[in-house]
Amino acid sequence: MVLRGKKSNAIRESLGSRIFDAFNYVFLAFAGMLCILPFLYVIGGSFATEGELTTRSFFIIPRTFTLDAYKYIFSTSALANSFKNTLIITIGGTAINLFFTVSMAYALAKKDLIGRNAIINMVIFCMLFGGGMIPTYLLVRNLGMLDTYWALWLPGAISPFNLFIVRNFFEEFPGELRDSAEIDGCNVPQTLWYIVLPLSKAVLATFALFYGVGHWNAFMGPLLYLNDSKKWPIQIILRNLIIASSGTAGLGSLVDMPPDYQPPAQALKLAVIVVATVPILLVYPFLQRYFVKGVMIGSLKG
Amino acid sequence: MSLKPTTRLLMVLVCIMLFASAVLAGCSKDAVNQQPQSGETENKGEETQSGGSSDEPVQEEPFKLSIMTIFYPSDKAPEPAPEDSPVIQKLEEYTNTDLEILWTPSTNYEDKFNVTLASNDMPMVILAPGKTATVISACRNGVFWELGPYFEEYPNLSQFNPIVLNNISIDGKVYGLYRARDLGRNGIIYRHDWLQKVGMNELKTIDDFYTMLKKFTYEDPDGDGKDDTFGMVVHQSNYQFNVSALWFGAPNGWGENENGELVPAHLTPEYFEALKWWKKLYDEKLINEDFAALDPEKRYDFIINEQAGAEIQVCDDAGRLESRFKDAGKSVGTPNTAEDVDVRLGIVGAVEGPKGLRALPTSGYNLFYLVSKQSVKTEDELKRVLKFFDQLGDREMQDLLDRGIEGVHYELVDGKVKPIEGDQRLGAQLSGLNQLLLFVPRNNQTPRVDTEVRELQTKVIAENEKIVVGNPAEPLISEVYSQKGPQLDQIIEDARVQFIVGQIDEQGWKDAIEQWRKLGGDDYIKEINDLYKKAKANQ
Amino acid sequence: MRVATNSPTLNLETKYRREMWRKIRKDKWYYLLLLPGIIYFLVFRYGPMWGILIAFKNYMPFLGFWKSPWVGFQNFEDFFANPDFFKLLRNTLLISFYNLIFTFPAPIILALLLNEVKNALFKRTVQTLVYIPHFISMTIVVSLTYIFLTTQGGFVNNWLYEHTGRKIQFLTDPKWFRPLIIIQTIWKETGWGTIIFLATLTNINPSLYEAAIVDGAKRWQQMRYITLPCLMPTVIILLILRLGGILDTGFEQIYLMMNSLNREVADVFDTYVYTMGIARGAFSYSTAVGLFKSIVGIVLIQLSNLLARKVSDISLF
Repeated sequence: MVLRGKKSNAIRESLGSRIFDAFNYVFLAFAGMLCILPFLYVIGGSFATEGELTTRSFFIIPRTFTLDAYKYIFSTSALANSFKNTLIITIGGTAINLFFTVSMAYALAKKDLIGRNAIINMVIFCMLFGGGMIPTYLLVRNLGMLDTYWALWLPGAISPFNLFIVRNFFEEFPGELRDSAEIDGCNVPQTLWYIVLPLSKAVLATFALFYGVGHWNAFMGPLLYLNDSKKWPIQIILRNLIIASSGTAGLGSLVDMPPDYQPPAQALKLAVIVVATVPILLVYPFLQRYFVKGVMIGSLKG
Repeated sequence: MSLKPTTRLLMVLVCIMLFASAVLAGCSKDAVNQQPQSGETENKGEETQSGGSSDEPVQEEPFKLSIMTIFYPSDKAPEPAPEDSPVIQKLEEYTNTDLEILWTPSTNYEDKFNVTLASNDMPMVILAPGKTATVISACRNGVFWELGPYFEEYPNLSQFNPIVLNNISIDGKVYGLYRARDLGRNGIIYRHDWLQKVGMNELKTIDDFYTMLKKFTYEDPDGDGKDDTFGMVVHQSNYQFNVSALWFGAPNGWGENENGELVPAHLTPEYFEALKWWKKLYDEKLINEDFAALDPEKRYDFIINEQAGAEIQVCDDAGRLESRFKDAGKSVGTPNTAEDVDVRLGIVGAVEGPKGLRALPTSGYNLFYLVSKQSVKTEDELKRVLKFFDQLGDREMQDLLDRGIEGVHYELVDGKVKPIEGDQRLGAQLSGLNQLLLFVPRNNQTPRVDTEVRELQTKVIAENEKIVVGNPAEPLISEVYSQKGPQLDQIIEDARVQFIVGQIDEQGWKDAIEQWRKLGGDDYIKEINDLYKKAKANQ
Repeated sequence: MRVATNSPTLNLETKYRREMWRKIRKDKWYYLLLLPGIIYFLVFRYGPMWGILIAFKNYMPFLGFWKSPWVGFQNFEDFFANPDFFKLLRNTLLISFYNLIFTFPAPIILALLLNEVKNALFKRTVQTLVYIPHFISMTIVVSLTYIFLTTQGGFVNNWLYEHTGRKIQFLTDPKWFRPLIIIQTIWKETGWGTIIFLATLTNINPSLYEAAIVDGAKRWQQMRYITLPCLMPTVIILLILRLGGILDTGFEQIYLMMNSLNREVADVFDTYVYTMGIARGAFSYSTAVGLFKSIVGIVLIQLSNLLARKVSDISLF
């Protein structure tokens, strides 16, 4: 009925408003195109032959279409295995992130909590100051987490940045709802679980996405903490492919290579990018269904 | 809305358990994790042992050896060889070892090296990321074994090149097992068919080179009637300039002046001659205009697309160019190829200048292995480790790790190795393993069936070794440089590029040198000369 | 816990204390929820915090923390006495500043524009498209920038040359360095940054719009008086957090875009530390620089938080 109200207004839309709409649609369509172009190049290139990749600098539709790169990727167990590792790291890590972040943020959203400011200051301090790579590595090692995925999950369990934003969302949450739940005899975790979270799906989806993408793209952690190459996520292979043969790596200029070294095929590089990126890209459109306006308010009325 | 007390209790418990498991799992995982690891290796040891004992009556237990090394993706595979690769199994059999290879991606290798150093549980052998400050001070503080004195006991290791050993030495002591590379790899690769097209016959002198670049730019060497070519593709690193400075007579890094004192190359008049020559190339548009921003990897595109006709590069880049030309559907040959080909690649080691033929050598090695004192406790163990690396010098091992298994990865044709094309999964079994090789003794490999281009490049590299000019300061370790080196280098590097593109003139170059001197360059020169004298006196 | 006393002040204090404990007991569930987080911060964030002290040492990884020699403020002196210090500070601040003016508002504007789209399918499609660049690695972005802008056959310069007879040295001209960095960042991160604002917009009570429409508010008025104010808390929090990282600039991007001809404007703290670290095992030095950056950051966060609280009643803490 809310929508209906808006629609009836549409009849009275002014000329300016319609011009704005037209401009808006055109602009957004243009922006969307601009954003996807390079990615189309990556996808197109992954289906192209080596010859075409070396002779044409930018294209979207290859002249000759080949599946060689993908055939190779799906023929080796190593890439499939690293893909599986990435999934485990991402799903496990995101679950831990959400558990830690949401519970802490919910408590911090209670403005009159004694000690709240001290804790917030403690968190802010951590946001800016950190021990650095070696001390963190030593801690992880002393906790015996080397070569386990715990080393990727726990040290970054809460991002202070995300914590603050989630807390902000909870602060905006209508107090009446919480109160009424507590009057009904729910304790705080129950209120959080049964009342608040179901109405905060957009927030949960957002931060699941933020954390998930972080884990999916993580590179330094796996590199430092995982010695066993069977446990590597696909990002390590990808980064190595992209960076190692470009001139930018500190080590690995051609002079360092044995004379008969041949760099990996271009198309393979692009195909690995596609395989490592498309799954996480597809998460967002899926999560968008939680981005529905006015859920919370609706339930408040009902 | 009310919940039963039991449900409530349950929820609290779940919360606590979830948290506790998250924190404690790390610890318990540790305990569980350490055990199977050693268990695993034990098992494997037994397997190899039982497997090996059937062959030989007296079988030592396989030696457990852990090695941390670098991994580069190649055309073989984007990931390192799996543990169960038959190549690794053959290697273990041959050397009677039980290997644990810790692959580390080449990106951020140094970070991994540093945390490994800090954590005190080092593998027995670790590949050092070069002579960095950390490596130098770790060696000085006795973290790694000094290996120099042991080499003579081993047939292969005793063939290390003394010049390269001197290069990797720290305070005159050798700690590393270096991975040898050809000294004479730097040279020029050019389009010989273009050269003939513009009416020239050969590339011998600097002047030839200049004339060639000029004609490549202005006389339509590809014959398409369009003004779409230029002479040479140049990228942003200083490597190509440094190679060329030697032709003009500049020293490699440091050279002695008439008083026997060492002077850095960029202070010599010869270096400035080279600089003016490059400026001329730039002004006459013989090189790509925004070379200062060109990623080295992109240089191929200009050559494959027939825009540029030459590059200063490692000679073996010819082989890579060849396969890319072939990908693009062109036939490739050398100046001497009999049949008619689309592209002829010429390779020369150097062009002649006022002081004759001079070529910039590579350092002769790429990174070196160090043996940890903490993990290799006794001299006996050390000798066992060295024996392993000595065995890697054997022809069988050099062939195995670089080319694979006969009949699987390659076949022998007239006593030469010919790779078997086909399933790329086979390539993956070999992926990265040649990083273990020291390639000492040199040329101890069964020759390959090569294309003419590759044969030419091998020949040029071998000949080039005779005209390389050494850097007398290479083994010297300067304190000033370790503090200010990158800053000093950057001053010269930036001024060099700015001079070439005309942003600064001769006065500006002199100002930059003055700034270099003030910022620590003078101290650096003094320190290097002191070290040099000391090193000379010791010899 | 009974403290018998006659003193009225003491009585007040005990009363206050008793009141406090009562409240803490009442909020026990909240503290339980805080517990995992607090333990996490103590173990994983404060546990390695001794690493800060590395800035005052000459840390060598193999010696360990205790055996590495103390050097006092040597690393800081080196850093501040460095003739390039002000150049680095200027470059870092300028890039951050431009990012603040141009790339910070971009996602907000995009979110507002998307919010005005009524066709759900179009909206979702655009949202998904603009979010893709976030996943394209910087190496590829820089490489594409080169392909488009090079004077050696890049199509922007080809076009310019055909129409104006001149070429622009986008990649080496210092004048173009900052605009390129900003454009790359806007392209890469705007869509991604929009997500958080779109999530915030879901929290707006539709009845606000209804009321506004009844009052005859036009579209832009609705945006101005309802949508924007509802975004403000998130915007302010993000802004404060952003200010804390003012001396952090994207290392990889700048490093890849920098060359000998634009270094004068491109070199920032992060790239400088990296270059220095190549030769000296600069753990201590880079820790010192990091510490300097953090101190500046924490001061800025405190100040901006104070300001935000005064002006808008919204704050981080």
